[in-house]
Amino acid sequence: MKNICLINGSLRGKEASSLAFLEDVNRKLSDTEYNKTFLTVRARLKGGYPEDMLQSMAGADSIIMVFPLFSYGLPGALMRFLEDYYRYIQAGNGYNKDAGVYIIVNCGFPRPRTIAEAVRVIKNFCRRLSLNWRFAVCIGSGPVVVAVKKVPFLHMKLKKAYAEIASDIKSGDRGTRGDYFIKPILPEPIILMIKNRYEKKMRLADEKSER
Amino acid sequence: MNAIFLVDKDSKTELSEALKTRILEIVNEKGHNIEMVELGRGDSSPCLGCFSCLTKHPGECVNKDMLNEVKKNAQKYGMTIYMTPVIFGHFSSTIKNAIDKGTGSHNLQVIIGYGGDIDDEEESTFIDLAVKHRGSADIVHPGMDKQVDVYITRSIEDNTAICEAFKSYL
Repeated sequence: MKNICLINGSLRGKEASSLAFLEDVNRKLSDTEYNKTFLTVRARLKGGYPEDMLQSMAGADSIIMVFPLFSYGLPGALMRFLEDYYRYIQAGNGYNKDAGVYIIVNCGFPRPRTIAEAVRVIKNFCRRLSLNWRFAVCIGSGPVVVAVKKVPFLHMKLKKAYAEIASDIKSGDRGTRGDYFIKPILPEPIILMIKNRYEKKMRLADEKSER
Repeated sequence: MNAIFLVDKDSKTELSEALKTRILEIVNEKGHNIEMVELGRGDSSPCLGCFSCLTKHPGECVNKDMLNEVKKNAQKYGMTIYMTPVIFGHFSSTIKNAIDKGTGSHNLQVIIGYGGDIDDEEESTFIDLAVKHRGSADIVHPGMDKQVDVYITRSIEDNTAICEAFKSYL
């Protein structure tokens, strides 16, 4: 049975868009065909990530990281995990070099290509460890996509991307694949208008509470 | 001008220490104030992405660690300097936590990456990560950061070039 390690790179708990995307892709991966491990990054650590978490990643045949874009890059908590993992491997611990790596990244920006540098960081990580980089799914305006995901026929491209992850894991392919860029269904000016209204509302609420 | 200099104290190298020392000398020679903050893994908790610092209590983080103190005073500095090892073309987690929490001045941020074995793609990734989407390219908050500059050092020669560039800020 293949081992799949799914990593939640968000610290927002149940409110995280990343968690929603992770659950979506998990549903495409059979519980009877795969042995799945779920890891979540941590805010507080004493002396680094525990060995059992690092071992789970080291023993995986497929690794799926799901995370939000923070300041155009990886969240600090996920970066800490990758640093600790790299040190763990550099210390001589064994790992599966053939593991296929997939990422699903969402950002608040409407343009998913804003995620391009975060994708490059993970590719560099894979290159350093000779891992089998597969492909990325980059989602613009993640919270908007989550809010409308139950609407039928919307975001067919995202659903296709999940299916491709599942199919790629099953086939164990090593050929080069392209990344998926998912734009939100709402036009960009409307998303920016929603963002501005939300920020104004929060500012007014804050001013009111100060009085 | 007041400046603040944030470094990753767990990842110091001879190269980074030499550059840090020289930058401090240059800033002091020019008569400016510079505050040094050496961040360790325990001093820098990650951003939770809760947005409370933008909504419920602007300018303050829910985690009351050393970064929160820097963040509260960020606008009193004309310049924030971040010095970080380049890891997979990214900032170290310690420095990334500082960046994520908005500890940088909106006036000028200078990001310096260092490392002995950074390859070309990692260098390119780091530079693009630092500056490509800032300023007017940021369509969500255009111009929020007035100026963000990035440098990479892999050698003493690079250090010298960075120090020369630094003089133009002061």
